[in-house]
Formats: sequence, structure tokens, C-alpha cells
Amino acid sequence: MKYWWKFLGIGLLLFASIAALRTPLSPALVHVSPDRIAPGTAVVEVLGYNTNFQKGTTEGYLENASQRVCGSAEVIDATHVRMTFDIPQGMKDHLTTVGVDQLRYDGALFTEGLGSGIESGSCGPGVNKIDMSGIGFAFPNRSILYESIRNLHFHVPMWFAMIFLMGISVVYSILTLGSNSLEHDRAAVSAAQVGLVFCALGLITGAVWARATWGAFWTNDVKLNGAAVTGLIYLAYLVLRGSVQDAHKRARLAGIYNIFAFVLLVLFLFVVPRLNAIDSLHPGNGGNGGFSDLDLDNRLRAIFYPAVLGWILLGVWMFSLKNRASKLNDQLDR
Amino acid sequence: MRYITSLALLLFTLHANAQSAAPNWLEESLYGNGKINTVVIVVAIILLGIGLWMFRMDRKLSRLEKKIKP
Repeated sequence: MKYWWKFLGIGLLLFASIAALRTPLSPALVHVSPDRIAPGTAVVEVLGYNTNFQKGTTEGYLENASQRVCGSAEVIDATHVRMTFDIPQGMKDHLTTVGVDQLRYDGALFTEGLGSGIESGSCGPGVNKIDMSGIGFAFPNRSILYESIRNLHFHVPMWFAMIFLMGISVVYSILTLGSNSLEHDRAAVSAAQVGLVFCALGLITGAVWARATWGAFWTNDVKLNGAAVTGLIYLAYLVLRGSVQDAHKRARLAGIYNIFAFVLLVLFLFVVPRLNAIDSLHPGNGGNGGFSDLDLDNRLRAIFYPAVLGWILLGVWMFSLKNRASKLNDQLDR
Repeated sequence: MRYITSLALLLFTLHANAQSAAPNWLEESLYGNGKINTVVIVVAIILLGIGLWMFRMDRKLSRLEKKIKP
């Protein structure tokens, strides 16, 4: 069974892709209207996602950092709740949090007529009117991301596969410098070529995801520009190879360049984006919280790690095909 | 020349109006249904990319086969 790792790779990709697409999102509140209320009676409608509210009345509340206003909540259907509040005069701050049962929505309401009065009410979160049956294993449901959180299992593994292949490439380059063997040089260039395929896929999928979450295909994010520059550095590696005629000279020159290229890859993808002084939109960079902060019960990880391993194995398989084909090509040319 | 310029300016204003009125087709397709379409597009791009690579590898192997038996 010398093909075992290829079967393993396909199996992992199959598992991770199906799980990434079929796992439900956990219930969340996604919209609150109106966005501004005044003291007096206020009716607030809340839209849920995957909430499956059960018919009847329940408790709802509005909240700021120190005060809470309780109200009654009437369930209209599985995703709609209408809440009625009697907003007192003199809230200390805007009531930015809307809560129904155990669900909260932050950044919701702008309150007019602020003051310094009233005590905090004593209600919610506690009563559970949401039918959680059927939602055992679920992904975090976060505003702005929503369903696109699944892209974590497709876009990010592209970069892991690319970095792994560039790692293979630099190892073969170091071997080339030690042994002066053209075999190692061929392996180094094959790995870099397949790595560039994953780099391109990572950039394009990232652009689509950025359009849906950040609003633009390309932003001036450090990690985006770093990734693009890394791709250009490796393109230059291939151009450099094409410009040298003598095979042994080319192998040595490209080997040295490739070591520098890998150092720059590590700098641009890992070191620079993580400097807290630089702003970044990417989760986990520039002082941002990462997906690890959302993933408190390891549900994303349980699918993300198999996906990464699966894509790396597929990348190594593609590298092996590429390398064998160019080996044949070189032998036939001789 | 002046005609082309005014046409271009008109197009720009149309574009600006369209943006303020309703979400355009792109936003509708990317943001609809809890943004699941974004995932569909991403998966499609990856499959197309790997498929394109397979085609190129196929062509390369065909060329090698021709070299072996001309």
C-alpha cells in the first residue's frame, strides 16, 4: 500500500469539505429594527438566524454597560420576535444590547433623552424558548461572517498547502547547494510551481471572501499585500531560472535565491502582519482576535485541521506528479 | 471626443445612482442567504483551479507520449 497517503488525503478532503458545508450555524440574532428609540413605549422587532423560536411569549431585555430594561417578547415565527418595552426617562447610556432568552445582539439601539436615573431591571438571560434539538454540532454564528465562516476550511488551507510546498522547495534547494545535483534542483522548482498554484487560489478565494465581508475585493491589508508580494517573489524565481542557460549554474543561483525567497515568505506572511503596530483586517493579525476566540468549543478546529492536512497531502501529490513528469521530460530531451 | 467624455460621465452618474438605490447583483449574490453563496463561489474557484492544473498536466503528459513514439 504505497498509495496510502493519497487515499488518506482524499478521505480527509472528503470529510472536511462535507462537514464544512453541512454543519449548521448556531442560532443568533442578526437584525434589530428600529435602530433608534425614545423614552416611552417602544416596539422592537428582532430577526434571528437558525433560531427556531417556539410560539408563545418569553422575556426580552435591552441593556447598556450598567442598566437593563426588561420587556415582554412575543414570538411571531421561528425567526421573528416582537418585543415591547417601556423605556424609562434617564438611561445613562445608549441601550446597545438587545437580548432574547440566551441570545444577544450588540450595537443595536440608539437611545434619545439620556440622563442619569433608574435602577437596573432583573430579568433575562435564562429562560430558553429556543428549540436547540437538532443543533448539536454547530459553527459559531458571527455578524458580518454568517455562513461565510465556512470559507475558513477552504481559503486558509490553500495557504497552508502553499507554505508547505515552498518548505519542500527550500529543503530541496539547500540539498542542491550541498550536492550540486540537478535532481534536487528539479524537485525544488516543481514544488515552487505547485505552491504558486495554491498561492493563486488563496489570493482569488480571499478576494471573494473580502468582497463579502470587508466590502472590497482588495484592501490595503498587510497580509494581502504580503501574500501578493510573496507570490511575485516566487514568480521572479521562475523567471530567474529561465534566464540562465547553464544547468549547474542555474541550479546554484536558483537555490540561493530560493532560500532568500523562503525567508521573505516567513517575514511577509507571519512576522509583519502580527506586529501589533500595524493594522490588519485579518483575524489574528495586527492585534485582532482570531477565529480561535470564536471557536471556544473547538468545532471549527475539528474540521479545519483535517482540511489543512488533506490539502497539504493533495499538494504533495501534485508536486510528485509534476516532478515525475519533468524528470521524464528531461530524460527524453537528453 | 466630447461625446465620449459626456457619455462616460453619464455612465458614472448612472453607476452612482444604481449603488445608492438597491444592492447590485454582486452584493445580492454574495450577501444573500446568510452569505452562503460566497462559500459556493470559493469552492467553485478552487475546483476550477485544480481542474485547470489537471488539464495542463494532461497536456504535458501527451507531449511526453509523443516524444516517446513519434
